[in-house]
Amino acid sequence: MLDKECEEVSKEEEEIKPTKNVVYKAITTETSPVEEEENNRKKTDTIAEIPEIRLPSDFRKCSRTDLVIVISRMLSFLIYLNDTAPDQESKELTRFHSRVPPVISVYNYLLRLTRYSSLEPAVLISAVYYIDLLAGVYPAFSLNSLTVHRFLLTATSVASKGLCDAFCTNTHYAKVGGVQCSELHILENEFLQRVNYRILPRDHNIEICKQEHQIDSFVTPHYRVQHGTNDGFNVLSTYYRKIIELVGLYDSSPDKTKKANYVLEHSKSSTIESVPRKRQLEEFAEQQHEPKQRDNHKKPI
Amino acid sequence: MASSSQFKQLEKLGNGTYATVYKGLNKTTGVYVALKEVKLDSEEGTPSTAIREISLMKELRHDNIVRLYDVIHTENKLTLVFEFMDNDLKKYMDSRTVGNAPQGLETNLVKYFEWQLLRGVAFCHENRILHRDLKPQNLLINNKGQLKLGDFGLARAYGIPVNTFSSEVVTLWYRAPDVLMGSRTYSTSIDIWSCGCILAEMITGKPLFPGSNDEEQLNMIFETMGTPTERTWPGVSTLPKYNAQFKQHLPKDLRAILQSQTQGTIDPVVMDLLYALLQLNPDSRITAGQALNHSWFAEYYQ
Repeated sequence: MLDKECEEVSKEEEEIKPTKNVVYKAITTETSPVEEEENNRKKTDTIAEIPEIRLPSDFRKCSRTDLVIVISRMLSFLIYLNDTAPDQESKELTRFHSRVPPVISVYNYLLRLTRYSSLEPAVLISAVYYIDLLAGVYPAFSLNSLTVHRFLLTATSVASKGLCDAFCTNTHYAKVGGVQCSELHILENEFLQRVNYRILPRDHNIEICKQEHQIDSFVTPHYRVQHGTNDGFNVLSTYYRKIIELVGLYDSSPDKTKKANYVLEHSKSSTIESVPRKRQLEEFAEQQHEPKQRDNHKKPI
Repeated sequence: MASSSQFKQLEKLGNGTYATVYKGLNKTTGVYVALKEVKLDSEEGTPSTAIREISLMKELRHDNIVRLYDVIHTENKLTLVFEFMDNDLKKYMDSRTVGNAPQGLETNLVKYFEWQLLRGVAFCHENRILHRDLKPQNLLINNKGQLKLGDFGLARAYGIPVNTFSSEVVTLWYRAPDVLMGSRTYSTSIDIWSCGCILAEMITGKPLFPGSNDEEQLNMIFETMGTPTERTWPGVSTLPKYNAQFKQHLPKDLRAILQSQTQGTIDPVVMDLLYALLQLNPDSRITAGQALNHSWFAEYYQ
């Protein structure tokens, strides 16, 4: 469904704006295994040749083109981890599941949503934050090749409606995202209920939300200024930095959209730090699996 | 979460911006509540106003902010369960109109209400939330004289940086001059201006600047407060809707204007606070926290 509709919308666009479509095709991410092998060889041979792009330390100043690339890398990396995780088969289906993985790549899909729904940097980073939030409070959910598209569509439209002053109707978001509007309503509702409307990026949201589900009532934390600036900006900034630390390097993610190493301004070139980074990635992978296992153990009780 | 069968729906209390509000009775606890019913739109899904109101109000627990107890989902509507309040400030002031003559509130009541308003606003701002629609209709009061902020449908978390800050916020009469001139970089000072307008309105019983369009609204403000210049408000001429041809007014004596509309004597101390709230330049406006420390409120200091 998702692909068919996406195609349909694309066709419409082809008629209206043929120039945009040219750009679209030019940055297709699909690579054949042969190409990939070649890429890998090139990578190891000439690691110094991968151009370095410095991103501003403040995500508000980051270009959306680069942001979409690094976020796609992050998502592809997570999908790779979750698709190959041992407990995948036993997981129950969620509303975010497609029957088969949609053909449109994560990068192309995110680019499409960003372009046609004018997603702002804060919305894009919030979507990554929402992965942790949703998976934290709803263990059946994990980001994988079957859930990523519906999740992204839901997360970006909810963030736009909840955080921004300029946003579109669900009819528009659904059309861009390639699902029926009625389905987006259901997805939106499912997401909001699962996270208990805690859509403002705040520290401790996951804990509080879990508590709420346990006691079946609202929990209102007493944030005060003295607890530090838990204003949402801090959370998004941390996510932005973490994303670049984790998948800034070209070879750190299965997503090969752009041959470039991304580093944050005012930080050392990350190519030298590949050893500690590898450890970080491993730790990251462990963290991704650990909470889920714990939750699974908890279930019988 | 609660189910709709837990509440008995009683009389209709009013139509909000995007919802209908009923009085309700919690059958298990016997406590009255306000039930705000939001229709789910076939185009919009859950309205953004509802998403904002729920996500923001859940975070705010304060004596001067209406409590959101729960949210009930049913097939095609969403019901927000709020703390029940007897009245709102607008209706309360209207009920005191004698004939056609609006009456201000007693000085002690004005002070108590303004104090509570500023406490609620200060709490929002401490939690990095802008209300953006403060007006007497959105200030709910109960028979104990408590005042609480309600209707957070236009509110937003201002710590989260998004490029599009709408200037179409706050009901016209309570909208700050910088916002009227198209500023999109406003912050907490936007709510403070409204607190000033509300204070003056409680004193006289009449809205301070009842304009009928943006232009008239600005002119009314300038007529009383004086037309700003680069000297009195550095940067004013860079605002999108600033017009060098604005009619030039000198500031008038606000105390004399208000005094002519009310019988009680207006204390110079309250005028000092009012001027601090109604500074044209948003950077010169007092903060809610500072306002609470104003000497007019000395009797509430602990």
